Amino acid sequence: MNAEFDKDQLTAEAVAAWAIAKKDMIIYYLKPNIIVSGLLFPLFMFLAFAAGKNVPLGYLIPGLISVTLLFSSSTIEPVSIPIERRTKTFERLLSAPVSLHAIVIGESLSGFLYSIGIALVPLIVGIIAFKTTIVFPLALIVGMLLTAIVFSTMGTLFAAYPTESPGDIMSMLNLVRLPLIFVSGTFIPLDAMPPLGAWIAYLSPLTYGNDLIQAAYGHTAFFFPLFDVVMLVVFFSIFQFVAHRLYAKYND
Amino acid sequence: MHAIEVTDLEKRFGEILALDHVSFSVETGEVFGYLGPNGAGKTTTIRILTGITTPTGGSASIFGRDIVRDTIRARKQMGIVYETSNIYDDITAWQNMMFAGELYHVGKQDREERGKELLEIFGLWDRRASRVKGFSKGMKRRLTLAMGLINDPRLLFLDEPTSGLDVQSNLIIRDVLQTLTEKGVTVFLTTHNIEEANLACDRVAIINRGRIAAIDSPERLKKTIQSVQSVEVAFEQGSAKILDDMENLPMVSEVRKVGDKVRLYTEDPGALLREIMLYADSHQNRVVSATTLGPTLEDVFIRLTGIERRNREGGFP
Repeated sequence: MNAEFDKDQLTAEAVAAWAIAKKDMIIYYLKPNIIVSGLLFPLFMFLAFAAGKNVPLGYLIPGLISVTLLFSSSTIEPVSIPIERRTKTFERLLSAPVSLHAIVIGESLSGFLYSIGIALVPLIVGIIAFKTTIVFPLALIVGMLLTAIVFSTMGTLFAAYPTESPGDIMSMLNLVRLPLIFVSGTFIPLDAMPPLGAWIAYLSPLTYGNDLIQAAYGHTAFFFPLFDVVMLVVFFSIFQFVAHRLYAKYND
Repeated sequence: MHAIEVTDLEKRFGEILALDHVSFSVETGEVFGYLGPNGAGKTTTIRILTGITTPTGGSASIFGRDIVRDTIRARKQMGIVYETSNIYDDITAWQNMMFAGELYHVGKQDREERGKELLEIFGLWDRRASRVKGFSKGMKRRLTLAMGLINDPRLLFLDEPTSGLDVQSNLIIRDVLQTLTEKGVTVFLTTHNIEEANLACDRVAIINRGRIAAIDSPERLKKTIQSVQSVEVAFEQGSAKILDDMENLPMVSEVRKVGDKVRLYTEDPGALLREIMLYADSHQNRVVSATTLGPTLEDVFIRLTGIERRNREGGFP
């Protein structure tokens, strides 16, 4: 597909992407499997980590925000897209006069907005219940936004796999998401990891998102914040590119 | 300018050749039927013409716009109604309509006016605020068609529009199609209902095993197989033995039970009628009705695709 990106078409692409996101919000945000995977799962992970640690709970809030962003942002599309393949509504999107990029962005946008909304819960609970202080609000905002868009795009990428069963994609996705919790410095600081773990951490986008969020709370940052931002943009670009290629390939 | 122009179209899936150098064109304002047995290449053709699948050879254009190189502009001209009613069950009919409008970049005022008009035409306006989940199959089909028309397309792809529908939905959809063709909208229709194609289409293409077997108007196609004429006869006393007896009559090439009648295919209906009357006299049976029939579009379809009729199905009780 070769989109003609004149001004009118750009507007049309944006309108269509937003329409896709709105549609997902109305239909999928309150589905039980979305709530379990996006909200409850990170909470239980947090409690499991908190129970075994001898640190104030408030100190773990940045890690909880990162994990919440990871799970909630990458949950919508792996559920919605297989369902829409089964009901053939996904075909409606593929045959509309919009580019695959607009479809991928629209699908990712719903996960992005969902995760930002969900991640506000630990953020606010941290402020109210644990008196956490946000030292660098800009770093928090940028870190949350970029982490959410990176992982919602990753969710869309995984959902490209041509199956009609959300369970198939969730299984593959969890093979990636669960290890990311342990190798990205969310609950175990990067400098406390064995050398191999630290090397693997470089390959995880969550490392950079979490690093920015930790820095926002005044915790020691492992990387320079601008480097975190650049790495998150790089991961987003890679995921967007690969997702586009996979949708083009699997729908042919 | 042709509404659709397909030249030497080829699609391979690995070793399988799904479309084998298919060529045809559809004129603006024409109702074009695309018939073929399952697996013949109908869906692959539609997926290529709507820009979902990329051909491995040849080209296709919609109102002069190449579907591969100029996909989005080509798609803006079309409405697509798939065989499956692909609508969102968890939102209302109105939300479905508005979503389709946004996907096709129809402005807010236009999509609201057109959405209302279409839901009224399709008898769904009173149910606009209801979730689609509770709709009958016919209502879902009507909504799918309404969504396909939200952008006022010049070309409408219709995949099995009336398959398995209730009478009311059938009538509404046929009325709308009639109105669309009167307005000059080009319709590309795939259907298993050959009689529907016979009545609705200016021309039909019959595709078989990825190749176009014939393209012409239904009447001209029928003329190509004048040898396939038939006599449809009803006897007062039906019995399974009659089918065997009819099969043994001279000149009969094929026997088919059609409800309480028997259809006998022949090249000479007049002579066969005389044989039937002789048979009735000699067996003390009475002929209730006898009708000679020319070849139907279905006969053409069967002849060209090589499908075998399940003749004598059921037999007499």
